Amino acid sequence: MSAKRFDQAHPFLTLALVFAAWLVVPTAVKRVLRAGFFEMQAPVEASASYIRDLQEFWSLKTRSKNDLIEAGRDLIHLNAAYEVRLQQDADLRAQLERLGRLLNLPAPEGYRAEAARVVRRDFSGWWQQLVIRKGSNYGLTVGAPVIYAGGVVGRIREVHAYTSVVELISSPGVRIAACLEGDTRPISYQGGINPTLSPARGEVEYVPVDVFVSPSAPRRLVTSGLGGVFPGGLTIGSLTNVEPSSDGLFKSGGVQLDADLSDLSEVTVLVPEETPPAAN
Amino acid sequence: MKLRVFILSLASLLLVVLLGQLNHYLGPWQLHAWCGGLFVAFAALRLDFRTGAAAAFIGGLLLDAGSPVTFGTHALLFLAAHAAIFNVRARAPRDETIVGVIAALLANLGLFLALSFLRVDLGPDSGEAWMRDFADLLVSQLVLALIAPWFFAVQANLLRMSGTHIRDASRGAF
Repeated sequence: MSAKRFDQAHPFLTLALVFAAWLVVPTAVKRVLRAGFFEMQAPVEASASYIRDLQEFWSLKTRSKNDLIEAGRDLIHLNAAYEVRLQQDADLRAQLERLGRLLNLPAPEGYRAEAARVVRRDFSGWWQQLVIRKGSNYGLTVGAPVIYAGGVVGRIREVHAYTSVVELISSPGVRIAACLEGDTRPISYQGGINPTLSPARGEVEYVPVDVFVSPSAPRRLVTSGLGGVFPGGLTIGSLTNVEPSSDGLFKSGGVQLDADLSDLSEVTVLVPEETPPAAN
Repeated sequence: MKLRVFILSLASLLLVVLLGQLNHYLGPWQLHAWCGGLFVAFAALRLDFRTGAAAAFIGGLLLDAGSPVTFGTHALLFLAAHAAIFNVRARAPRDETIVGVIAALLANLGLFLALSFLRVDLGPDSGEAWMRDFADLLVSQLVLALIAPWFFAVQANLLRMSGTHIRDASRGAF
């Protein structure tokens, strides 16, 4: 009878032993194990993403020549517009540098833009993350901001040898210092609940009480540049509703994020450039 | 035993990659399939305790490596699920595929809820968070029910190809 009872309890005794043993395993060992298990999967996932790219390439090859000519024409128009923007940009940069020298301002932090393909999207109710196909081999660093044409994607949480993990701004718990376009007062943005079959949403706190928005008249929420992670002026989403918070001093509200955030295939990582130490 | 654990770990790696690809395509709809029960069910029902436990633990570590959770969370949860299934397996015709699918579905339900309790912040919007989790659970159970027979067959065939007979492996309980 007692032997049978021991037999039944054996799996749970083993579980308790493994649990106790796991608790005392040094953090360094766990970190090495984690990296090892991740790197073991990375080549397989990267290969799958290369195959997906190839698939896309062959599907594009089936397009007619007329489509190609039309796309080329559109590209010429875009290039012309960008050429003008580039000239304006160079002029503004020169002005900024001149003013900076006159006022003796410190040089703004520079970023190197590194485009990367998305290997895997992982959007659950628990977390929202992307795996991208560039890692420490391209000098990416933990915490580097990740953007796309529509604004902010998130920031890099882990950097591995050939891949990196990006935590999205829609991930619950992610916080960013933000402000409304044309208003410098800081607002706290936090990733929120991501309902099924609709675009991701976020939440804001500490919105000034004189801010009024509605779903028909939303306001653009941008990064404030405070906190040192994201450069200022990048789009986060649209503030669609606000209501007074419990303390009555501020308002809190909801942010509608871009629907394309859930369908990204390429992103840009802004790698902070190291400024050389000033010569004495 | 080592060879069997290695083969089951390879099968787990295949499952991790395939589920990763599926979730990549489900992403635009904000849906997610999580089939943790599949990493546990076959080995807990058909193999000896040590082999199954080691395979479940390694399968959990594979998932832990790519998730923003404390390293070991999935692994210890899988080990607990393995111990629970192993303890009750004698009461069911465990060689039947349907029993395996039901065990995987039940294990998946328990593991999913356990992870949700660990992850969901019980704030003012926790009701909405649970609605999202419920939708993900529904998709997960559906995907699991569809792929479980195939995955059990893959595991059984891989073991057979390596020269392991499942009946011999499951005879010794520990």
